[in-house]
Amino acid sequence: MTKKTVIMGIDGAPYKLMKDLSDSGIMPNFKKIRERGSFKKLKSSIPEISSISWTSVITGKNPGEHGIFGFVDMIPNTYSLSFPNFMNIKEKPFWKKDDQRYIILNVPQTYPAEELKGVLISGFVALDMKKAVYPNVIIPKLEKFNYQIDVDSNKAHKNIDLFVEELFKVLDARIKTADFFWNEADWGTFMLVFTGSDRLMHFLWDAYKNENHKYHEYFLNYFRKIDEYIGKIDMDKYNLIMLSDHGFEKLNVEVNINTFLENEGFLVLDKEKKNYAMITKETKAFSLDPARIFLNIKGKYPNGNVEDTEKVVDDLKNSFESLEYNGKKVIKKIYKKEEIYHGNYIKNAPDLVLEANEGFDLKSKLNREKIFEKGMFTGKHNPEGFLFVNADENKIPKIPCVEDILKIMEELKNE
Amino acid sequence: MNKRHNCDKTCWNCPAAILKGNVDFRACGQSKEEIKKKVEENPNLNMVIECARRPELGHFEPNITFEQCPEWIETKYGYMLKEMRVMILGIDGYLGWPLALKLSKLGFKVAGVDNYWRRDMVMEKGSHTAVPIQRMTQRLQSAKEILGTNIEFRKIDIRTELDKLREFMEEFKPESIVHYAEIPSAPYSMVDCNHALKVQDNNTLGSLGVLFAMKDIVPESSMVKLGTMGEYGAPLTGRPIFEGMFPADAVLQWDGREWSMGGEMTPRNPGSFYHVGKVQDTYNVYEACRYWWLRSYDIMQGVIYGVHTKEMAEDKRLRTRFDFDEWFGTVINRFVAQAVLGIPLTIYGKGEQIRGFIGLEDAMQCMIRLIISPPEPGQYDVVNQVSAVYRIVDLAEAVAEVGKEFGIDVKIQRLENPRVEPDKHPMEVVSKKLEGEFGLDPKIRLKEEVRRMFKVLTNPEVKKRLEEKKHVVLPKTRWNGDKLEMDKLDEYEPGTKKFKLELKQQLDTIHGNDKELKGIKENGN
Repeated sequence: MTKKTVIMGIDGAPYKLMKDLSDSGIMPNFKKIRERGSFKKLKSSIPEISSISWTSVITGKNPGEHGIFGFVDMIPNTYSLSFPNFMNIKEKPFWKKDDQRYIILNVPQTYPAEELKGVLISGFVALDMKKAVYPNVIIPKLEKFNYQIDVDSNKAHKNIDLFVEELFKVLDARIKTADFFWNEADWGTFMLVFTGSDRLMHFLWDAYKNENHKYHEYFLNYFRKIDEYIGKIDMDKYNLIMLSDHGFEKLNVEVNINTFLENEGFLVLDKEKKNYAMITKETKAFSLDPARIFLNIKGKYPNGNVEDTEKVVDDLKNSFESLEYNGKKVIKKIYKKEEIYHGNYIKNAPDLVLEANEGFDLKSKLNREKIFEKGMFTGKHNPEGFLFVNADENKIPKIPCVEDILKIMEELKNE
Repeated sequence: MNKRHNCDKTCWNCPAAILKGNVDFRACGQSKEEIKKKVEENPNLNMVIECARRPELGHFEPNITFEQCPEWIETKYGYMLKEMRVMILGIDGYLGWPLALKLSKLGFKVAGVDNYWRRDMVMEKGSHTAVPIQRMTQRLQSAKEILGTNIEFRKIDIRTELDKLREFMEEFKPESIVHYAEIPSAPYSMVDCNHALKVQDNNTLGSLGVLFAMKDIVPESSMVKLGTMGEYGAPLTGRPIFEGMFPADAVLQWDGREWSMGGEMTPRNPGSFYHVGKVQDTYNVYEACRYWWLRSYDIMQGVIYGVHTKEMAEDKRLRTRFDFDEWFGTVINRFVAQAVLGIPLTIYGKGEQIRGFIGLEDAMQCMIRLIISPPEPGQYDVVNQVSAVYRIVDLAEAVAEVGKEFGIDVKIQRLENPRVEPDKHPMEVVSKKLEGEFGLDPKIRLKEEVRRMFKVLTNPEVKKRLEEKKHVVLPKTRWNGDKLEMDKLDEYEPGTKKFKLELKQQLDTIHGNDKELKGIKENGN
């Protein structure tokens, strides 16, 4: 009989943190598992954003193929942001490729929940519970577990105690729900993603190593809880894949890319208007989160005027290369879209994607006065996630990336 | 070509936008608290909506302009949401019916409700409409035959049958609600205790129920609510009557100190229990917008007059009612009816009351422009819907002058004033928004419309109906509760008295002050 497959995600967990926490005894179960398979760094998507990365995981495809380039996109011929969801994914996720039974819990970018053989509860962004659950007859059950799709991160802006309390509440409910379906439902593949980890690390990365930090123990406890869950999985029975969609690191300073573009004269805003509708005819380029640069191309946008794209790209590259903070270069790499994306939907891709040097958190809010700012976040994404597979090294690419997960899964199944 | 007045409005104004929540992508998370608060307080949150008409867009930010959106199509009134669903409360009335015809002819989907009270109350007072109107079923049939429109109708009393109204709202899902379903009469509310109770109960509590229903069923729809210029009264100091709220640069001085009044509600000074109810409505609507994020335009409509709209002119069967009794007839309409009946035109007291006025077709144009340019969620705004201000004595002269063209020798009589109101006062009305923000282009000229009214009312069939009810023309309802005919103070030939313009009479429009100050001559041609 073929083994069942279990995929477990810990959103944003960096390779180094998983290694350190298991070495130091915070995650003893993961330590045990780790020693019986392959534990590696996993390269995230570019940029390293959950919506792109998880979509690559579940489809096995490059963003140019699956069509998800970020949390936000621009609606064609407008300056209005859209928030792509599951319906915008152009490739099938693995659970639509055969007639196995699947339990898919809390995978980001799977809202609204579509019909499948099994159960799907969407991960963030999922604004309407009724549309986030398939089949929706299980909603009363979820309500009983106090199931919640996401931590309300706005709580952290009000009071960090409220936020931490909610983080654990949501985690407990998620585990109860997962246990229920694990035990009660019939399934061939079970996928669960813990997403609170990402929120925790955004707000409390500074608590991770600082023993005197008020939330140090809370930070560790969060991973202890996940480790307890890992302890319940009998890895001899299953093909087990554990992974994160990206890594995390200390945030030194936030960098407002649009403010930089304004200062450099690439972006000219009409302050009478709102949001991206402020973009004027004089604008050459603008950025969408985190640092995806779009040229204001004539015919593509209402106030588009760029015709000679190569020249603007060269000018932009020169400008970004010169961006420094306290003597340090901010931008590590500037990718042209052709360098990182391929597929039918590359036309929707940003013209340039910036990768930051360590500690710089690239952001694309409009209307910020300063280029460099400190906010309340202490952690930021980086491209280095982790991967664990209970199989030999030779089943896994040397430097695996998120697009390889499906292949690995197939490989394990066919063993 | 000039840009349409509403071209830059966005999904934020559009009733098809369903507010879904906020997302803070900086922390990759979503939030579920009250939307409004978040956007104002936290610039890091993105508002997320879905479009009821373009579900393929998924979740997005409400920033597509009407000009950019394929669901909004260009018309001479501005961009219009394709087949926008408009529910008219009080569709059987003097305004409701012509609006239903105009909207449905333009391609709106129109539904209406009415409890036929206007018909009943006019009958209760022993009168009838001078212009005969059909029963509602026939009216709808005629509209279908003549204009090819399909208006949905339910007989519902919004005050006592709120459940039915809610059910109809659930079915029709209006994107705009025009609220004409109030009893529109100051004298009727002053008849006695029962009439005052009936007016305030239907108007104020009825409207409050509608607000609750909107909140529950169609919170994204806007309410275009009929108020009246009478809510403001006539300030004896002559201070301008602003559009609901004080302008940004208004200042209150007292005791050597000063405060900005910008954005605060201006004082109201109602002149009857009907007007008091209207003022209460204003506050109810204002609060509903504040508490529940509903949206509304409150229209302070001047005294309305006229018989003509393009659609009604197509066939006699499409005409709207025309009341001339003391309770439901408006002053210019009554003057023309009195002239046709050979009754000297009745002015109250000195007759130097100044009021704002608007012709029927212009009022309809205003409504369309407001309907297609909805406020933002939570926005309450007021427009003064007035195209001219006139003194009553001057109006009587104008009507008499046109009467002559029809061979009618019109006289004017001054009666004791049955109302408690100043009969000579200054008046400066500000009416800038409709022209400035909504592109209103008033077309109706007073004398031209009066001429049309004479034409209709001298038609033998209509004149006969006037004569049948001649006895309801002179006022008997006094504000002190007595039911007595007013003593006649004076009767005179038009043109024989000079009423010097001693106090300010002014309309402030965006084209500068006082377009109408020189009175009727200028705009009566």
